[in-house]
Amino acid sequence: MSLPCSPLNLTRQPPAAGGESIAQKPWSVAVRQVALGLALLASGTTAVGAAGPAADVSYEQDIRPLLETHCVECHSGDDAKHDLRLDTVTGLLKGGESGDPVFIPKDPASSQIISRVTSSDPHLQMPPKGERLPAAAVDLLKRWISNGAMLPGEAAARAALAAQEEKITTDHWSFQPVKRPPEPVINDPWIRGSIDGFVLKSLQEKALTPSAAADRRTLIRRLFLLMHGMPPTPEEVESFVTDPHPDAWSQRVDQVLASPHYGERWARHWLDVVRYADSNGYETNRERKTAWPYRDYVIDAFNKDKPYDQFIREQLAGDALGEDAATGFLVAGPHDIVKSPDINLSLMQREDELADMVNTTGTAFMGLTMGCARCHNHKFDPILQKDYYSMQAVFAGVTHGERPLRKTPDASATAELAGLEATASGLERELSVHRQHAERAREAAAGGKLRPPVNALLNVEEFAPVETTAVRFTILATNSAEPCLDELEIMDDAGRNLALAGSGAVVTTSGSLGGNAFHRLEHVNDGQPGNGRSWIADTPGQGWVQVDLPAKSKMQRIVWSRDREGKYKDRLATDYRIETTAATGEWILLASSRDRVKFDPDSTADPDGWLGDLTEEEATTARRVQTGLAAARQRITQLSGGTPAWLGVFSQPGKTHRLYRGDPLQKREVVAPGGLTVLGSLGLSKDEPEQRRRLRLAEWIAQPGHPLTARVMVNRLWHYIFGHGLADTPSDLGVNGARPSHPELLDWLADEFVRSGWSVKHLQRLILLSATFQQSSLPRAEAQTVDSEARLLWRFPPRRLEAEAIRDSMLAVSGALNPAAGGPGFYLMEVEEENVMHYHVKEKFTAAEFRRMVYQTRIRQTTDGVFGSFDCPDGSQVMPRRSRSNTALQALNLFNSPFVLQQAGLLADRLQAEAGTTPEQQVETAFSLFYGRPPDDFERRQSAALIQAEGLPAFCRALYNTSEFLFVF
Amino acid sequence: MHPLLNRRGFLSRTATGLSGIALSHLLGQEHALAGLSRPIRPDINPANPNAARRPHFKPRAKNVLMIFCSGAVSQLDTFDYKPELIRLHGQPMPGGEGIITFQGGQGALNQSPWAFRPRGQTGKMISDLVPHLGALADDLCFVHSLTGKTNTHGPGENFMGTGFTLDGFPSMGAWTTYALGTANETLPAYVAIPDPRGAPQSSGNFWGSGFLPAAFQGTDFNASQPVRNLARPAAVSPAGDRATREFISTLNRHHLERFPGDSELAARISSYELAARMQLSVPEVADLSNEPAHILKMYGADEAGNPVKDLKAAYARNCILARRLVEKGVRFVQLFNGAYQTGGEGVSNWDGHKALKEQYTKHGEVMDQPTAALLTDLKQRGLLDDTLVVWCTEFGRMPTFQLGASGRDHNPAGFTAFMAGAGVKAGHSFGATDDFGYKAVADVVTVYDFHATILDILGIDHERLSFYHNGVERRLTDVHGHVIKDLLTT
Repeated sequence: MSLPCSPLNLTRQPPAAGGESIAQKPWSVAVRQVALGLALLASGTTAVGAAGPAADVSYEQDIRPLLETHCVECHSGDDAKHDLRLDTVTGLLKGGESGDPVFIPKDPASSQIISRVTSSDPHLQMPPKGERLPAAAVDLLKRWISNGAMLPGEAAARAALAAQEEKITTDHWSFQPVKRPPEPVINDPWIRGSIDGFVLKSLQEKALTPSAAADRRTLIRRLFLLMHGMPPTPEEVESFVTDPHPDAWSQRVDQVLASPHYGERWARHWLDVVRYADSNGYETNRERKTAWPYRDYVIDAFNKDKPYDQFIREQLAGDALGEDAATGFLVAGPHDIVKSPDINLSLMQREDELADMVNTTGTAFMGLTMGCARCHNHKFDPILQKDYYSMQAVFAGVTHGERPLRKTPDASATAELAGLEATASGLERELSVHRQHAERAREAAAGGKLRPPVNALLNVEEFAPVETTAVRFTILATNSAEPCLDELEIMDDAGRNLALAGSGAVVTTSGSLGGNAFHRLEHVNDGQPGNGRSWIADTPGQGWVQVDLPAKSKMQRIVWSRDREGKYKDRLATDYRIETTAATGEWILLASSRDRVKFDPDSTADPDGWLGDLTEEEATTARRVQTGLAAARQRITQLSGGTPAWLGVFSQPGKTHRLYRGDPLQKREVVAPGGLTVLGSLGLSKDEPEQRRRLRLAEWIAQPGHPLTARVMVNRLWHYIFGHGLADTPSDLGVNGARPSHPELLDWLADEFVRSGWSVKHLQRLILLSATFQQSSLPRAEAQTVDSEARLLWRFPPRRLEAEAIRDSMLAVSGALNPAAGGPGFYLMEVEEENVMHYHVKEKFTAAEFRRMVYQTRIRQTTDGVFGSFDCPDGSQVMPRRSRSNTALQALNLFNSPFVLQQAGLLADRLQAEAGTTPEQQVETAFSLFYGRPPDDFERRQSAALIQAEGLPAFCRALYNTSEFLFVF
Repeated sequence: MHPLLNRRGFLSRTATGLSGIALSHLLGQEHALAGLSRPIRPDINPANPNAARRPHFKPRAKNVLMIFCSGAVSQLDTFDYKPELIRLHGQPMPGGEGIITFQGGQGALNQSPWAFRPRGQTGKMISDLVPHLGALADDLCFVHSLTGKTNTHGPGENFMGTGFTLDGFPSMGAWTTYALGTANETLPAYVAIPDPRGAPQSSGNFWGSGFLPAAFQGTDFNASQPVRNLARPAAVSPAGDRATREFISTLNRHHLERFPGDSELAARISSYELAARMQLSVPEVADLSNEPAHILKMYGADEAGNPVKDLKAAYARNCILARRLVEKGVRFVQLFNGAYQTGGEGVSNWDGHKALKEQYTKHGEVMDQPTAALLTDLKQRGLLDDTLVVWCTEFGRMPTFQLGASGRDHNPAGFTAFMAGAGVKAGHSFGATDDFGYKAVADVVTVYDFHATILDILGIDHERLSFYHNGVERRLTDVHGHVIKDLLTT
């Protein structure tokens, strides 16, 4: 048994007498647990009970001993493997964590127990090791199932299970509603705010005392390093040190929170949590040159103190809320673009993409490891496998790619837009006249000029080139039975078929006729025509297929057929519509059967479009109008629709199924979009409109009463200030996560956070103004003995800065920092473009690379030559808490790298220019830049001696290597 | 628990003798996984994160040399002999109708362009593409029934390198050094030697530390590219460099006086001392100038005159470097053959889709003799007594040629790797593919099993070595893996 898989730790309670009010305990909603297995069993066994065929196999005499010999060693008791008990009647009826029934009465061929004991697949076969079941035993099982699989006491067991209508509740702390605890009543002059009371209470319980306040130089440096990721300037230090006002500190706190550098620092933390990077990762690892608008959105959100609930809603459904850039969250993760005709690979890639979205949403906002429920019910937390797929259904319409980032047009654009709109509507009017002419001409010709009728062999739909991300082919009538398509091609102007699965197109449908390997949905765009590789809908006379393209592409022709090999003429679509998506998300008609001659099995005709109904002269005019209109629309999109950015592409998805063991080829029941069963339902239907799924999930996560959302965020904020969260597993507040050191404080902060209107800055201000934060970081032996990590906060815990803060600080003190904010990132890698991308560490730097590191184009699978060794993540996995290594490679990088040597040179120039020419003056200025304090006598002597002997650049190189510069104290 | 984060001063090892206990221990906040075997998370000393640590049980090997051939080496042209493939050459694969592989449809079965011959006492059939390795058949322990999870190179290399097809998981070398540290503290515990042509498909992910602390990241260098930032900058004089280093130490120690017993600050000071030792020991180990002529010749490192020979010599020098690192007790050495940087799809790696014969002729010549010499050299120096050698690739290839091409498509359903040295049987073959070498059918094993076996040989319990990340106790083998006992010496 592997570690992350132990029995589900849920409290299962019988229904409360008299029916407990759901309103009173919003998070312990009654749910049906074993739906699938029970439903099947109930229907099957009812029939058996009534008929009662002669039982030549008895459970007691034949089956139970057999199970005891071969199965119950693992599948019994409270720690039964995979939660499957075969030692009780209830267990047999209920099934295990897979949700699949153990057997289906009267259908041994479909019964899992039979397939398991007869399988030769080492991953499936039961028992997993040792001897297989003898043939006689398998035969007994089969016969028992064939006879109806009767069990003694079955009626009672079934009744008990059905009556359970089980309540899944959990007593785990983080799932309980947040209740604002009373503040501890302690009369102590140390206390400056509510936080301090909670902290002091915990200290006193361990007989500890807080540390004295840090001196002002330490404090102001700590404030700037934590909130800006760069040290204060000497002027900022001196102004604070000499400020006599009683509110000097709170003024500095406000000032720091108001600076744009604040957002640059705190956005970087959030980008860790949401695995942001600027390349696709995996094999090709191509750059995403337009991912940065999301990064800028996050920076801006922190700077504006965007209410956190709004921040959540926008990242999940910003397209519905006027914040397009925010949905970069959904597609910030890695994404495998290597496509293959091998359908297994394509399906698994898509499952992995969706898993990335589900998992990141779970950990980032709720501190829950949803990913653990991809294959089975969560082992520790109350997350059902169904819940995972419900959340997957929320994102099922999201794919990686670029979408226009809508923007508010500026003044000049507004004028041009107005003109364009007028032009476009004029052209549209003109075009509609031509269309009317065509229609009239067609009517007049009484069918003679209609397009040829559909035929089974090949049909071509021509139209003016149009940009699209999706095409829908809707069949309204056929010549017989369920419609069949052997191939659907979407051609671009170069004659390439965009619809091919091998090019990354994804196809969905209203439903497919099952049961025949010839007819599968994936055959409709596999590039192989013919009845043997075709698709048939599941409804007579109608159905649709939709092709979603991997990127916006220009198409100008659609080709489709029933059987290009000419053998079959049945199941032909005779009445159909072909539509495409507009930028607005609406479906626009591209072609239909309306302008074709009515289908007649014997007719033949030549292909043509509606323009063919016009005179040649008028057709030429109409084409020109069409072209002009397309150009105007494109320009309108450019101006008002904005430029494309890596924000995800949305389309209406097909149905989402629960997948047995996470295997995309083993679909189980259809699930509706949703959140966590234990926390209630989102009330969405199985074919809810795409955007509404995300919006509803976002609203549900961001509601004030959600027990996890506020707790998770305040814990993160605490973590980034003190180095440890109150619960030290910031993206996991589930059962397997760490328990909080100060549970009451965590709840108080969570409540305060929500009450403040989810203000991040309000919460940070409370922390920064607390006596707890302002303590000295100096060690005290007696406290260290009891609490070596200062988790109880008897001091401010000192620690090494992160990679970005070190680099930014280096640039700040050398004076080289390039303050350019926002926009496309800068590179720490040389890019070598090929089919797969190669990246080489840069060794030469100019001012373009001297921007803050949050603006770095972060490339997955690469590490910067200097700062990569400082536990700097590449965005391949979420990183809610960074490690802090101290290694020889770090030392070499800081001591010898061209980057640091260059900065040392720039710093030496600065000191020459600003401090003066004597070593003493230079030392004085350097210390105030680096440490915000003057050197002591020892340091002054040593430093001056080094400058005299080895020169100023040597001294500068050394300072970049000092602990005091690299740590926050 | 986060070893490097939470150990500040935990049972402090500093001279002050100041000790303390992590609060989480007091509160009993270690993860409560009652009823299960508890995870083993090594106790990492922040001042020396790569200090040698005891294995979980008696190991069969102390070090690992992993030779990874990027691009997916065809088992059918090297070590997996299939008479039926020769017999049915040119015919469709029976039962193979409709198989769709990575690049599409399949043509006919194709025998290898290279003949197979019995080798060594065991008579193991090995092809003429790798005659030097063939000559060592009696020392090798083959696994012919490996199966993967993906047929794409990036995820495939991730899988073999890190146990996950996704990006961002710690590499096997990172897990190994996290568990065991290293015996040689003046060299990196984990060295990756990229191919002279560049990086493999999954790039730095192959030797990255993922979410493990960066202390366990592989250090990448080879015989022609030194460790980045190792050398003293050209503009700095040796004396100036020394004086600057001493000044840093003086300032850092002076500062430490205000924070007595702080293990993280102490760790920084020691990291500079280790860096200084590395500046001496790494160039020394990478300096091949004292290798005698007969050694250079044995590896093929003295060859020159055409691009293939130049490449072979460059790879041979990497092989000699690998031996020297093993000799010095580096815990995990990873040697790469094949790269994606200088040409994909078989040009500079083993991805022989379209022109298998032409490309493999070159790759075989480059890889075979130097790799065989490395094994021979390790053996003659007695280094195989403590070192496990693993030769592997991301997946196998098809017994058919691709439709309309003269090469083989990807095939994760059955492929070959071999081990040699400490802990494994010599002259042994395990598992088998079907008659054509398409699918593993006998003693089928997974990459998880392969990884579990490597850790087991090192004395590491693959089910217990773990690191808590983002809500999950992570392992190299995820929730899978069984040690392949049949490979192990008795």
